[in-house]
Amino acid sequence: MINVRGLTKAYPQSAGAFQALRGIDLDIRPGEFVAIVGKSGSGKSTLLNLLGGIDRPTTGSVKVEGTAIESLSATALARWRGRRVGFVFQSFQLLPTLTVRENVMLPMDFAGHGPERGRADRALELLDQVGVADQADKLPAALSGGQQQRAAIARALANDPPLLLADEPTGNLDSATGGAIFRLFATLVAAGRTIVVVTHERDSDSGVQRRITLADGAVVA
Amino acid sequence: MAPRWRKATRDLLARPGRTALAILALVAGVFQVGAMLYKFALLQPELTTMYGRTDPAAAVFTTDVATDDVVDIVRRVPGVGHAEARPVVLARVRKGDAEWIPAVVSVVRDFDAQQIDTFKPEAGAWPPGRDEIVLERSALEFAHIAIGDTVTLRLPGGEDRAVRVAGTVYAPGLAPAWMEHVVPAWVTWDSPVRGPADGSGESAQIRMRVADHALDEGYVQEVADSAQAALERAGHVVSRVTIPPPGKHPHADQMAAFLFLLLTFGILSFALSMLLVTGMIHGLMQEQVREVGVMKALGATDPQVAGIYLGQVAILAAVALVIGTPIGLFVGRVYAEFSAGILNVDLTHRPFPIWLLFAELVLGVVLPLLVALIPIRRAARVSVHEALSDGAGARAFGERPFERALLSIRALPRPLALSLRTALRHPARVALTVAMLAVGGAAFMAALNTAAAWNGAVENDFAHRRYDLTVVLAEFQATAELDRTLAAVPAVAHAEYWPGASPYLVGPHGVSTVTATMLGPDPGSELLRLPLVSGRWLEPGDVDAVVINQSVVKNLPGIGVGDSVGVRQRGRTTRFPIVGIVKEIAPMPAIYAPPGAVRGVTGRVPGESRSIRIVSRSHDDAGQLRAARALETAFEAAGIEVTGMHRMLDQKKGILDHLVILISILTMASLIVVIVGAIGLASTLTMSVVQRTREIGILSAIGATPRTIAGQVAFEGLLLAVLSWLAAFVLSIPLSWGLEYAAGMIFLRMPLPFSLSPSAAGTWLALVVVLALVCSFYPARRATGLSVREALGST
Repeated sequence: MINVRGLTKAYPQSAGAFQALRGIDLDIRPGEFVAIVGKSGSGKSTLLNLLGGIDRPTTGSVKVEGTAIESLSATALARWRGRRVGFVFQSFQLLPTLTVRENVMLPMDFAGHGPERGRADRALELLDQVGVADQADKLPAALSGGQQQRAAIARALANDPPLLLADEPTGNLDSATGGAIFRLFATLVAAGRTIVVVTHERDSDSGVQRRITLADGAVVA
Repeated sequence: MAPRWRKATRDLLARPGRTALAILALVAGVFQVGAMLYKFALLQPELTTMYGRTDPAAAVFTTDVATDDVVDIVRRVPGVGHAEARPVVLARVRKGDAEWIPAVVSVVRDFDAQQIDTFKPEAGAWPPGRDEIVLERSALEFAHIAIGDTVTLRLPGGEDRAVRVAGTVYAPGLAPAWMEHVVPAWVTWDSPVRGPADGSGESAQIRMRVADHALDEGYVQEVADSAQAALERAGHVVSRVTIPPPGKHPHADQMAAFLFLLLTFGILSFALSMLLVTGMIHGLMQEQVREVGVMKALGATDPQVAGIYLGQVAILAAVALVIGTPIGLFVGRVYAEFSAGILNVDLTHRPFPIWLLFAELVLGVVLPLLVALIPIRRAARVSVHEALSDGAGARAFGERPFERALLSIRALPRPLALSLRTALRHPARVALTVAMLAVGGAAFMAALNTAAAWNGAVENDFAHRRYDLTVVLAEFQATAELDRTLAAVPAVAHAEYWPGASPYLVGPHGVSTVTATMLGPDPGSELLRLPLVSGRWLEPGDVDAVVINQSVVKNLPGIGVGDSVGVRQRGRTTRFPIVGIVKEIAPMPAIYAPPGAVRGVTGRVPGESRSIRIVSRSHDDAGQLRAARALETAFEAAGIEVTGMHRMLDQKKGILDHLVILISILTMASLIVVIVGAIGLASTLTMSVVQRTREIGILSAIGATPRTIAGQVAFEGLLLAVLSWLAAFVLSIPLSWGLEYAAGMIFLRMPLPFSLSPSAAGTWLALVVVLALVCSFYPARRATGLSVREALGST
């Protein structure tokens, strides 16, 4: 599913370049539920961003389903992201002026997924799947953190992508709600999706099949 | 509706304050352009064609008699299209015992068959009866006369004749009465106003049109020369031939300047509103950067993201168009009617401006979209990673030399240092806001400076003429007799008799060109000391030395001190050595010479005069008026006919009135520019507060009071205001120079002396400070209304 080779990422800073990743080699199989763990600043979010094509590597390559995403143009990368990857963020990132259902419809809108008339129904199905269908017509601000994150997961599934990338999805949630989110992920993995989640050590046992530990930009375990 | 378009609309609704500001900025642009274009569309055809529609005379002959036989002589000259007799009686008019006002009474052969310098009935009777008169419509208000009133005309023979005002006419070929301070009037061919049958009471004028090439001044001159020769061959005396500039209304220059200013300010304020839109969109995109990142992470392409925000701009622009267009058209029409009224112009065509709606659509929607494209494209291209990072796209403070310089100022109290650094953290935004306010302020100051320069020039000019009244008599009178009469008038403090003449200026090849005023003040007189450009003023002992004004120089280019100037009167040319050139605001050529030299030109002898300069005991308006009335009475009692009684304050007002329209346009237009600038300031301050929400939370958390935070916002507003004032002051210098130069050249044919009015700078400083405080009120309230939790939770 994902093949990473010699991946490095450096950020220029006034005090000199900061080396966030230092030569990562990594393979993730289809249907795998992988947790990337490590301390703050270890490079785990940077790695996730590179896997999802929301940042470009300094050197090395990331192949997802055989596509070398670093070689795609900005537009091609956006289209690829819209169809093949679903993102879940720590702070949910639901657009505040759209209802929950509209937030879920938005990726379909961008990707032109399915007939336009069917998108609202599909959004409702997805919200039902994650357990917040009754919140569909509310604005995100009216939902609890856990409900917002479930809605965000539904949004990530909007275009039926094979790969879900989640950056500390439970970071803003209490432990019970966080556990529920991980159980939801496990269900999705069971249904055949590949999920890579950046998380803290404490969450990484919640149904995760493999754990990749980063330290100072390198895989240490 | 697709979710992305819902987002576009709801984002706008979610921030009603800022959306309203953006719409207001766009409305200001649409309104200004609409008003100016519509006003231009209504006025321009009138101002450029109305004069042509009056069939203006190509030449006017002043002859000994203007009978039908004489007119026929002119009509038969090859090249002449038509000729009409239009004798003119130079009289004075008053209603009741009001002040006498100069009146130019034209005698019309047939009111219904006029073909030259035409006018048409406006109200009341047409044509007037034998004992009636019709007035130009602009004269009613100016002279406080109504249709049906009986007014007194004091005729050249000194006779007073009561005539009834039968009606008004519209004569667009003439300057409005208020502008020239003269009442234009018309009477029938058999009117008793004409005076004795020998024609001595009138100026026998014959007006002529050419058959073709009416705009070719050289051709007109040739035909006029032929007509003059034909008249002289027939034994008539042609005392003057006047050839007005072909196709040019007497106030064409003012009208051209008027239209030019309209368009200039329209374009200026529209450009400013576009700048404002750019700034607002830039701010919006900075705020939306995280959402842009999220959408791109969800698969939105750059064009899709850009489309959402362009959609927002299109919605804003469409709303602004719907609001601004009708208001602009309405105000444009009202203002056009107002301006037309001032210029005595009728708006004969009021077409529904389809082209203007199209122009508004392009300028009001397409242009904002194009302008917004730049910040939107830039924002849409931001990488997802950059967009989603904390402090996305933010540059650390202190990287730029200017910021390091700010940091090095240690002496400032900490809160003030923070305010200063915060205010100047976004130099591009500061520059944009300062530029917008500065342009408005510069325009405002330039308008006031031009008014001050104009007033200053007029005041200065009149300060060099230290008399209060000029009395013109119908006949030359013995000065001893005049002395006796004046001695009996207590309101008169001092009087001088200056001979005058109106000769032609003689050009380089001995050709008579324009008429000049020749005046013979006593060289030792204290009543006239005009400012010198070069050379010297007249001195006692001068015999034939003359001082010319700069208008003579303009008519005879290259002439200067040491040269001689030629004048032609009574069929002979006399040359005088030039000893000085003076500056005066009158655009007419004037020559000042010793009294003897002037008499030499006119052939008069010393000891007689028909022109008196009077210094009254009291120099204010009431004092001048009292003296004028006393003089009228005294001369009447002495049997001396007065044909002109000119009060200097009245003449000064007449000159000042010429600039009324210009200054009103400048001030109004600059105020609209100022409003756009103020919206920009309010928008900048709001944006600044929005972007610093988290920082405000931190300040609150560590103990800053709402007053401190509001003070910071107000400080930012005041800093921007003061910076903009400095920029406006600098910008107003060339702008004022240009406007003063243009106003001077248009109205006086010489630049106004450059003037920067301290009161203009002071007024703008006070205004911009008040504006800043008003504009910072809402953002400051917003900032202080945030709870620490809300502020710190903001992303």
